[in-house]
Amino acid sequence: MTLLLVLILLQQAIAQNRSVSGKVVDQTGSALPGATVIVKGTTNGVSTNSDGTFTLSVPEGGGTLIISSVGLLSREQPIGTETTFNIRLIEDSKQLSEVVVVGYGTQARRDLTGSVASITAAQIATKPVQSFDQALQGQASGVNITTPNGLLNNAPVIRIRGVNSINLSSQPLFVIDGIPAFSGNTSAVGSVPNNPLSNVNPSDIESIEVLKDASATAIYGSRAAGGVILVTTKKGRKGQSRVSVDSWAGWTEPVRLLDVLDANQYINIKNEAVRNLNANRVAIGQPATNLEGFKPTLDGSGNPVDTRWYDYVYRNGFSTSNTLNFSGATEKTSYYTSVGYSNQKGMLEGNEFKRISARLNLDHKVFEHFTVGSRVGYSNTRNLSPNSGSVGDGAFGTAGLGRSPLVLPPNIPARNPDGTYNTSGAGIGAGANINPTSATATNPAGSPLLPGYYNPIVDLENNYYTSEGNEIQGSVYANWEPVKGLSLRTTYGIYNISFEDKSFQTPLAGDGFSLKGSASDYYRTNKRWNWQNTAQYDRTLGEKHSLSLLLGGEQQHTEIQRWGATRTGIADPFLTNYQGTFTSISASGNVQGENYLVSYFGRLNYDFAKKYLLSLNVRRDGYSAWAEKWGNFYGTSAGYIISEENFWKNAAFANVLNFVKVTGSYGEVGNSLGISDFASLPTYENNLYGDLATLYFSSPGSRQLTWETSKKTDVALAFGLFQDRITGDVAYYRNLVDGLILRVPQSPSKGLPGAAPGDIANADNNSLLANVGSMRNTGIEVNLKANAIQGNKFNWTVSGNFTTLKNRVLSLATEGQRIGTATSGLETVNYTEVGHSVGEILAVPSLGVNPENGRRLVRKIDGTVVQYNHLGGGTGWTTLDNVATSAPTQLTDGVYYGPTLPTWYGGLDNNFRYGGFDVGVFIQFSGGNYIYNGTKAGLHDQRFWNNATDIEDRWTETNTGGKWPRVVYGDNVSNGSALIISENVEKGDFARLRNVTLGYTLPASFLSRYSIVSARFYAQVQNAALLTNYSGIDPEISTNGSNNTGAGVDRNSIGQARTYTIGFNVGF
Amino acid sequence: MKTSSHYTLALALCAALLSVGTSSCKTELLNPIPTTLYPEDVVFDTPARVALQVNNLYGYVKTGNFMGGRYQIYGDIRANDFLNRTSNSVTALGVWNHTLTETSQNDVINLWASGYAAINQINVFLAGLDANAAKLSTTPFPADYATTTAVNYRAEARLLRALSYYALLQFYARPYADGGGSKPGLPLRLLAETNDENNDLARSTVAQIYEQILADLNYAEQNLPKSYVATDVSPAGFLNVTRAHRHTAIALKTRVYLTMGRYNDVITEADKIVSSSAPFKAPAANGVAHELNPSVAAVFALPQETLENILGFPFTAQNAPGTQNQLAYYYLPTTQGGNGEYGLNTSAGSTLASPAFAATDARRTNFVTIVGGTSYLRKYATGTPYTDKAPVIRYAEVLLSLAEARFRTKGNTDVQALALLNAVRQRSNATGGYTSFATADAAVDAVLLERRIEFLGEGIRNIDIMRLNATIPGKGSISEVKPSDVLYVWPIPAPELAVNRLMVRN
Repeated sequence: MTLLLVLILLQQAIAQNRSVSGKVVDQTGSALPGATVIVKGTTNGVSTNSDGTFTLSVPEGGGTLIISSVGLLSREQPIGTETTFNIRLIEDSKQLSEVVVVGYGTQARRDLTGSVASITAAQIATKPVQSFDQALQGQASGVNITTPNGLLNNAPVIRIRGVNSINLSSQPLFVIDGIPAFSGNTSAVGSVPNNPLSNVNPSDIESIEVLKDASATAIYGSRAAGGVILVTTKKGRKGQSRVSVDSWAGWTEPVRLLDVLDANQYINIKNEAVRNLNANRVAIGQPATNLEGFKPTLDGSGNPVDTRWYDYVYRNGFSTSNTLNFSGATEKTSYYTSVGYSNQKGMLEGNEFKRISARLNLDHKVFEHFTVGSRVGYSNTRNLSPNSGSVGDGAFGTAGLGRSPLVLPPNIPARNPDGTYNTSGAGIGAGANINPTSATATNPAGSPLLPGYYNPIVDLENNYYTSEGNEIQGSVYANWEPVKGLSLRTTYGIYNISFEDKSFQTPLAGDGFSLKGSASDYYRTNKRWNWQNTAQYDRTLGEKHSLSLLLGGEQQHTEIQRWGATRTGIADPFLTNYQGTFTSISASGNVQGENYLVSYFGRLNYDFAKKYLLSLNVRRDGYSAWAEKWGNFYGTSAGYIISEENFWKNAAFANVLNFVKVTGSYGEVGNSLGISDFASLPTYENNLYGDLATLYFSSPGSRQLTWETSKKTDVALAFGLFQDRITGDVAYYRNLVDGLILRVPQSPSKGLPGAAPGDIANADNNSLLANVGSMRNTGIEVNLKANAIQGNKFNWTVSGNFTTLKNRVLSLATEGQRIGTATSGLETVNYTEVGHSVGEILAVPSLGVNPENGRRLVRKIDGTVVQYNHLGGGTGWTTLDNVATSAPTQLTDGVYYGPTLPTWYGGLDNNFRYGGFDVGVFIQFSGGNYIYNGTKAGLHDQRFWNNATDIEDRWTETNTGGKWPRVVYGDNVSNGSALIISENVEKGDFARLRNVTLGYTLPASFLSRYSIVSARFYAQVQNAALLTNYSGIDPEISTNGSNNTGAGVDRNSIGQARTYTIGFNVGF
Repeated sequence: MKTSSHYTLALALCAALLSVGTSSCKTELLNPIPTTLYPEDVVFDTPARVALQVNNLYGYVKTGNFMGGRYQIYGDIRANDFLNRTSNSVTALGVWNHTLTETSQNDVINLWASGYAAINQINVFLAGLDANAAKLSTTPFPADYATTTAVNYRAEARLLRALSYYALLQFYARPYADGGGSKPGLPLRLLAETNDENNDLARSTVAQIYEQILADLNYAEQNLPKSYVATDVSPAGFLNVTRAHRHTAIALKTRVYLTMGRYNDVITEADKIVSSSAPFKAPAANGVAHELNPSVAAVFALPQETLENILGFPFTAQNAPGTQNQLAYYYLPTTQGGNGEYGLNTSAGSTLASPAFAATDARRTNFVTIVGGTSYLRKYATGTPYTDKAPVIRYAEVLLSLAEARFRTKGNTDVQALALLNAVRQRSNATGGYTSFATADAAVDAVLLERRIEFLGEGIRNIDIMRLNATIPGKGSISEVKPSDVLYVWPIPAPELAVNRLMVRN
């Protein structure tokens, strides 16, 4: 600084100068101390004072000021004849000069040779989400995030550079402040999801880094195959003792609900279907005794009932979120502490999420070279959900609220005229409907048509499903620098969560009816300790050799226990919880798991003259779940910053293309996420035979099981144009996953066990885990960011990312193997086969409707076209010449429609700022994938189920061009319920206006009168608009959650909500 | 100076932590021992533990997907005595309306898988007895364990294997009557499967499977205990119904021989446990003294452990049949604790419509309930947690099988056959006894009809249709299925076809 001052003085002495002054503020309007103001082309400059002001001598002839500050976009300001300047610098998250967090350390982005995407606090803090990972959608290239449905706190499906496993998890490893986190739905109750990541208050997050290639991830070794997401929480900044309040409130509403028939239309269609069924029976000389039993049900006033079931199931939910934080720092100590409360109500009745959180982050310099600190977060989250049928294999449940409004007859009421629930046994009452097939000799008038589906209001008003989590997560560290450049650090962290999951089902009707009322309670503890010790040495040798060496060890021990019980036979409906008296109880949900990971790792970064960059990461991991416990992993990369070469710097185009870096990396990392703790052991377990205990052969084990290996290649080019006004990068990636752990199917007649007796549909039966498959993901990623317009008043920045993905399965357990993935254990749509993308849809090609007779036409594999006539004799299937033929089958006649994973996706973010106003428009897009619209199949089923309104365009003798087949009562084949047909396969391309924000930042001059440092008010819309040809409720849907091979299925799931929020952020 | 000593202390602590932390790999943590899973080498360590394994063999056969509910339900609803009420494909709609395919999960795939799961548990246990022979003859096992208890266990295991194969044959293979057992049967799995070998195994013929079933049952007959004595947890009555004893094996043999049409063998076997004249009774000296209970209602009243109940599988709240597998859930109306999945057919051709099934018949007054105009079966009357035993075989069946075999071989005038038939019939319908039959066919038809009335909802109907290679009658809009129809037997499940390369379709 002294030198700078001397220079300034010298400068002043030799030129004709004048003095200008001004103030530099950040985008919130707060004074920016320590910013550099310099006259372009000179060394003449100053730093701003603690109140952001500066005074500087400039040449009489004017010139240009360059104003810069770390982490903010530099600005150029022509001096002209002005004498005072008020300059606002805006944040630049993607600036090449930024520092990024990497595994066990940080690095300048400029020097980075691995692939790391950064997401800043501003991109996620105000989003109306439950967990921060939901807010990452579209924010980074190579990161595809699917919201499986609109249920609150449902874990999003995250795929970094494609799906990287088949049987294990493809989700990334989450690391919060250095400690690996628990993630994924952890609730024991199927209806209510609980994503442990929701325990982190998004407002507490400083930055998120996504590690993608081998170089960046290898330091996490065996857990890195699906990528790593590093979360760093906030810390206090020097000179900024602040109190800050972040609040928002909003409304959530359902959108794009599917149109279903009203009572009149329903009665007409279903009776027509019965007439057609009778005609089919007569045609083959069989009795046609089916009754046209669909009739109007009258309400108390004698009017026909016309129930819109949506009105009972959906609502507009109100949400709020508030965070108060204090932060600051002195020379010795920095602190950040916050408390938060969020209460969010979803669009589904009874769906609610609450979080109370607190955090304290402390760093203290005990001695000159010795620092200690801690990161501690506590939170309590409470999830409440009705049975939506959208999680936990509930797609085909009769209780699922996603399904109820689609399937229930509209001509029956929710309540009887006397106000009581309309029920009959467990299900909803029949109303006036008579079961068409129930007429018998002794009962010619037939019996009531009982749907068997439940009355949703009984569930909504009496049952509950909750999952409550208490989490304490944090670490303490000590850091010692015995000699300059050497840093020894030890960090001990814990990550403990307890969950209490409860369900209650009323005896009145629904799932609890036959159980005479049921209550379950589960208690789960996840306990983890993690101890890391590292030595980091940084040294510059001579002038140009920079060396950075990291050596370390890590141990992590995790114990998971869960116990629980289900009580049935409630003493009285007066009771509503587990603590009441029930006549029976049985243990359920018991889990005991333990695993241990021990690791040694190292990293060497070297650069020569800031031009040539080299990095080597190695890690050796031992993991308890494997039979072959140890594995070695590495990642190596090199980079070349061409723009640092003198020839470049001196070239004319250097002014345009000011930064160019090429990098390449290769390495092998592993995957162990999702393997069960004792997968490799052959085991026996206890069970029951009546009231006697048993001991059964429970698992053959997998005695050679070891890591999956992901071989990752990455080649990238990063560039900066016009002094970094435009920055970007292009990368090619290739992940070859080897030794994929697959369930090698065994003949069911061998009877190999894998689950408890009776749990026969469990995929763990009749299979053995082995490292046998391989798969490849390739693609290109592009990131671009431009400060399109940068003025004092008006700024426009635009950033976008785009990724392509091609997934290919290269080998499976056996030649020609098809791995089917069933939706909720019932309907298998997705098949994984070599030469295809994982989980492609296998469907029999549908050729539409035969205009001659209204029958569904499909093509068999041999090319013959066959048609279906329900209960029209034999299998119902005939050739076009009406010769009886065998039924087509999915496995024989199906062809692949795929892939189910988007082959291209990305985001486009526009930010405009005018004075105090800012506008953000964020578009997320994705496509190239196919969706199996099973919901559509259900909506055209000709059992008593209600239909979509487009069934009006069915084949009749007067509408021979109808899109839908002639309706025949009971027909569940022509629509695709019983046979997967291409009619229900659709493309999933979409562009979503995910977020639109309008904000206003009050002028600092105004605020300072009230001792307020900054204040911003904003309004935003999440999921504002959707552009798609997909006919279902939402193209971004995943009934099978994060199942690797079951993507792209839409079966009775609820869609995504639209959320309007208003909020403010005030700092004191 | 004070600061400096603190400094030194802090550094020392830090260095110590570093060195401990990086060097101490806790190798024992790399091999965590699960607290609820047993390694395979300890399961034959004590007599009690071996006994637990025997219990398990029963536990596997009686899973809800197999003989704990669904097997019996499928056996009844294929024919025309039940009408589906819920159109729910999970609860056997496809079995009822004959729309099963090789990918039908809940029935075609799951019944096969659960049957073979039980068979492999049995085979693994049998192999374990062999492999651990040395252990079984040293302490803590009693000296005679290997020659007594272990042999009893082996017999129980083989009986359960026979029962499982028999059950699978009834759905996945053509009847024995169709070609004298020459048609494709099942893959005959007799080895313990614990690894990735032996996926390919061709179907043995129906006759070969029956041959194995009979070999197992003959072994069981010779080596099972005559009866059980009470233990500290289970009364003898419970064990005699829920575990196999000598008469269980004999009773099952009458069913197997009847299914094969070997009527003389039916008589030979039945004679071992049926006295030659009324009251018909099994000789107490040879085993459990089975007899007809005077009240048919009592046979199905909890705990269903009369001397008539030969074998039935128990359930408790802790050990329930599982969702949508429970007999009572399918058949009881919702007002009585079930889900009314299937009502009783009352149309012509149904058992309920038969004039032989009198209005005052105890089986109608006790087991048929009418709710809202629909008739339901009330043989399994216990709602949640559905603890009615799943029936396997009872003495009444042995009597009627013997009656049929005698009518078929000795003609319509056989006195004992008539007495056997009337013993069952008149227990429930005192005035309904038959006096004579004009032809042997009429006599056999009367027995077959009596079996429909007596065993309604016990899973016997399908056996009785298939063993005669008869047409499966239609109901409502569901057409009949002739023996020539491909739908007559179930398809072989797709997962088996996908892996077992020697497997052939039905």
